[in-house]
Amino acid sequence: MSEALDALIVMAYRQLKRFRRGRARLVSSVVNPIIWIVFFGLGWSNVFNFPMARAIFGGLDYLSFLTPGVVAMSVFTASFIGGITVIWDKQFGFLKEVLVAPAPRWATILGRIIGDSLIAVLQGLIILGLSFLVAHSLNPWGVPASMFYMLILSLAFTGVGVSLALKITSMEAFQMIISFLMLPLVFLSGAFYPLKYMPDWMKIIAYVNPLTYTVDGIRYWLTGVSTFNPLLDLAVLAGLAAIALVAAARLFSKTTLD
Amino acid sequence: MYCIKSVSGLMDIFIFGYISIDIFWPEISGWYMMSQEKDGFAVVVEGLVKRYGRVVAVDGVSFRVGYGEVFGFLGPNGAGKTTTIHVLATLLRPDGGRVLVAGRDVVRDPVGVRRSIGVVFQDPSLDGELSGWENLYLHGRIYGLRGRVLEERIEEMLRFVELWEYRDRLVKHYSGGMRRRLEIARALLHRPRILFLDEPTLGLDPQTRAHIWDYIRKLRGEMGVTVFLTTHYMEEAEALCDRIAIIDHGKIIAEGTPDELKKMAGNDIVYLKIREAKPGVCGFFEDLVMECKELPGGRVALKVKDAVKALPRILLRARDRGLDVLEASYHRPSLNDVFLLLTGREIREEGPMDMIRAMVMSRRWRR
Repeated sequence: MSEALDALIVMAYRQLKRFRRGRARLVSSVVNPIIWIVFFGLGWSNVFNFPMARAIFGGLDYLSFLTPGVVAMSVFTASFIGGITVIWDKQFGFLKEVLVAPAPRWATILGRIIGDSLIAVLQGLIILGLSFLVAHSLNPWGVPASMFYMLILSLAFTGVGVSLALKITSMEAFQMIISFLMLPLVFLSGAFYPLKYMPDWMKIIAYVNPLTYTVDGIRYWLTGVSTFNPLLDLAVLAGLAAIALVAAARLFSKTTLD
Repeated sequence: MYCIKSVSGLMDIFIFGYISIDIFWPEISGWYMMSQEKDGFAVVVEGLVKRYGRVVAVDGVSFRVGYGEVFGFLGPNGAGKTTTIHVLATLLRPDGGRVLVAGRDVVRDPVGVRRSIGVVFQDPSLDGELSGWENLYLHGRIYGLRGRVLEERIEEMLRFVELWEYRDRLVKHYSGGMRRRLEIARALLHRPRILFLDEPTLGLDPQTRAHIWDYIRKLRGEMGVTVFLTTHYMEEAEALCDRIAIIDHGKIIAEGTPDELKKMAGNDIVYLKIREAKPGVCGFFEDLVMECKELPGGRVALKVKDAVKALPRILLRARDRGLDVLEASYHRPSLNDVFLLLTGREIREEGPMDMIRAMVMSRRWRR
């Protein structure tokens, strides 16, 4: 068991070490959410600057409504992409080194997922810190709880990313998944506009979109505004995380070079 | 040749090697002893079959590798060498047959197999974003090593492959030869009993190749590691291996020591050039050689069993009969001749033309 734990820790350590070396990844993953906050958020916040506007966003100014969503989005994107870097390891051969090791496969893949999740949470925290500069109704005491939600979210989606990456062989297929899956999931998560104004068919998708519950949960802890009970949000996320992690571990255990 | 080599090898191990191991390699001598299993083989393969869709990559291969042996798979590209090594390393599931590595079944107990092996893949499998030291550290921790033991071993292995000075450089800045050496160090870090090397010197310059040959010889000599390697370089197989299996189209077509194999391709030939040769020269050597032929220009070709032993006797006889020998040379059949004899093709690589030919061949065969 201690052997498994060693393998788990060192695989997480590898991800962190690689991240520290690859500055470009940090910059690119932080720039994108900043663009959303500045060019999308600041722009619309002036549009929503009329007396009744706050009622649309549960009593919040638009930036305070938006920023928790962008934080969730950045963690989601970072995790998903982190998970899918398994494809790189396939192409650069490092995956074979892990596959041929006697350490339990669940431990090596879980370590990797935890490492990538910590990175994703770190990126989310950077965005959250910047959010405090522009949004005025965010509650700093909600940060630890939001971090917890962010961590569960990123474990879930790194797990999903890893599972997909183990099944996918080409970078092109991965690009397709990104464009087909990621943006729609973000738009249908209630990050940019409240769920209750969506058309019914959109609402249905939003309700099965796990990102919705993250946005909702993080928004609750940072602003007090939410659609669902924050515990329900957490339960949905935790359920998804459990499924994704088990799936990733199982897939990795069965991985061969066939 | 072979006899002399193996006897001195044994002497090394029993007299010099053993003593020097105890003095200089205190930890390793235990490791070496452990790998000396009286009965049982390091690798047992019986009727291995591996298919990719309709293509049969490995077609009923059987062989055994004893502990402490250097065993080579020699064959052209696409012969099934890498597939075999991947099955032995538990990364591919066999479609048929039985494979035991270190006494454990690769299908039923892959983890047991993984514990006893080290693998150097044909394609690089290092993390380029980490330094050489970090790559080994990562490997050690995954294999359950830690603390001072791990650090000492990392240093020992990095020094062994002469990369200690470059330990802090990121692997992506390493040259091809350095990477291959680092992979060898990494594969040995957890002290496996059996080391798999898939084309260990493919694409390397002659100098690096010589280095890697040295390491492999030391592994066998000083550390007693069993080595299974694949190669399509004949000189490599000949220089390193105790036994060789020649593989082509997924089947083993010949197996034996390099000398046994070469004997299949015929006998050695000694060539002499004699000043003012007269007809009937052959008569002088009748009792020493199997066959003799007089060639134009004062040259004589003598077919013998073992050129190395026959040559001094032939020269002595020539002097006794008053022949003035200007030049003496001999030709021994190479493994390439063996391959040619068995398949009608050459194994020779080097040069893009041969690569293309090999690819065309393998495609033709697959159809």
